[in-house]
Amino acid sequence: MIEAVSATVVVLGIVVFTLSVIIVVVRVVRRTLRRRRARLAEAPRLALLEFVAEGGTEGAEELIALPQRQWQAAEPGAIALLGKVRGEAHTALVDVFARRGLIEAERADLTHRSRVRRARAAEALGNLEHRPAVLALCALLRDPHAEVRLVAVRALGRIGDPAAAVPLLDSRATADPTPSQLCAQALAQLGPEAEPALIGALEHADARVRVTALDALGLVGSGALIEPVARVLEEDPSLPVRLAAANTLGRMGGRAAVPPLVVALGVDHPDPLRAAAARALGEAGAAGVAEALAGLLADPAYRVAHEAAHALRKAGPAGLAVLRSSPEPHAEEALAVAGLG
Amino acid sequence: MARVLVAEDDPDIQQLVMYKLKRSGFEAMAVADGLAALAAVRQFRPHAVLIDVRMPGLDGIELCRELRAAPDTAKLPIVMISAQGRPQDRELAFAAGCDDYVVKPFSPKELVERVQQLLVEVRA
Repeated sequence: MIEAVSATVVVLGIVVFTLSVIIVVVRVVRRTLRRRRARLAEAPRLALLEFVAEGGTEGAEELIALPQRQWQAAEPGAIALLGKVRGEAHTALVDVFARRGLIEAERADLTHRSRVRRARAAEALGNLEHRPAVLALCALLRDPHAEVRLVAVRALGRIGDPAAAVPLLDSRATADPTPSQLCAQALAQLGPEAEPALIGALEHADARVRVTALDALGLVGSGALIEPVARVLEEDPSLPVRLAAANTLGRMGGRAAVPPLVVALGVDHPDPLRAAAARALGEAGAAGVAEALAGLLADPAYRVAHEAAHALRKAGPAGLAVLRSSPEPHAEEALAVAGLG
Repeated sequence: MARVLVAEDDPDIQQLVMYKLKRSGFEAMAVADGLAALAAVRQFRPHAVLIDVRMPGLDGIELCRELRAAPDTAKLPIVMISAQGRPQDRELAFAAGCDDYVVKPFSPKELVERVQQLLVEVRA
């Protein structure tokens, strides 16, 4: 019995020792490889920085002629650099990638079985602003891995092709959707040609799509789009969608945004919507909102009165005058905050 | 020779901007965080500062406010660099006192031209 226990202890000891040695060896090898890669990358990295700083006027041939091992070590840095510059520097760097045959390699990697390779390729093609890859990147919006979808959304925003608008919006209507704010930012980067798709999405059956379209319209901020957003605020059956519509009107701002928001302040609407409309009136920065908000300072719904007071704080001299003449605690609080600013 | 301080924690952007500034005839110094930038402003006495909004220690917005609050740097030309291009981000930076706001990704050539333009306006 004792012999059996001793033998087990010895075997376990050997196993633990062997595993420890393997872990140490793997770590040392990895660190050595990382250092070697960093050493290999240092010279091309400096050459890339100088090339980009000079707007690609000198050094292109040297970068194209770099031995493959050196380029591979420097490539992650080069892809990151593509995302940090624009203008002539970006164009010149894209040309180096193209002449090294890397664009086709990245496109092939979009369907690679490794999710890391797919995500890296999506990032590279986004930073390269490579429009021919838009369809393939749209397919990645349904990738089984969330991180790949996320990189694809960013890449599509960076490329800015309006053809990506509908796939981006549809990616919000799946069982595992892309993040709403990230998607809205990407949609806003697609430019005015994507606006019809955003307006069309306000009729989408899925409320998440409608919210994302509204958030994107808020980021675009065009006053010409107020009418369809106002219709959503008034008619949409979903409260979260109506809240998003109120926020969007606040971001769009201007005089035309005021009337639908004032209507949404009415007591026949849910309190969260009335509070959102009050906040949006403060954001809208339009004249003439003080009168509509003044009556809400004594509202029995705490959130409505609170948002109305802070909207008045942002509404210029007329709003501050209303707050000073009010005995309500929300008005006092808003004036105190105004004093801090 | 005009002196420019670059406060930027991204080594690529820091080196890129330093290289471009030096090639354009500026004397340039770089730091990687806001607190180091405050100290460097006293020592290096720059004619303009480029500040990244997101930095460790003291962020770009706070650094900008600190520089504007001190009498000797209250009028120092400040260019903010940020990955955030939303109107509210710009408003926050201008409210903190910056003179110009450049969104990443940017053109190094354009950035240096904007610094040159600011220095011309200050001298005028």
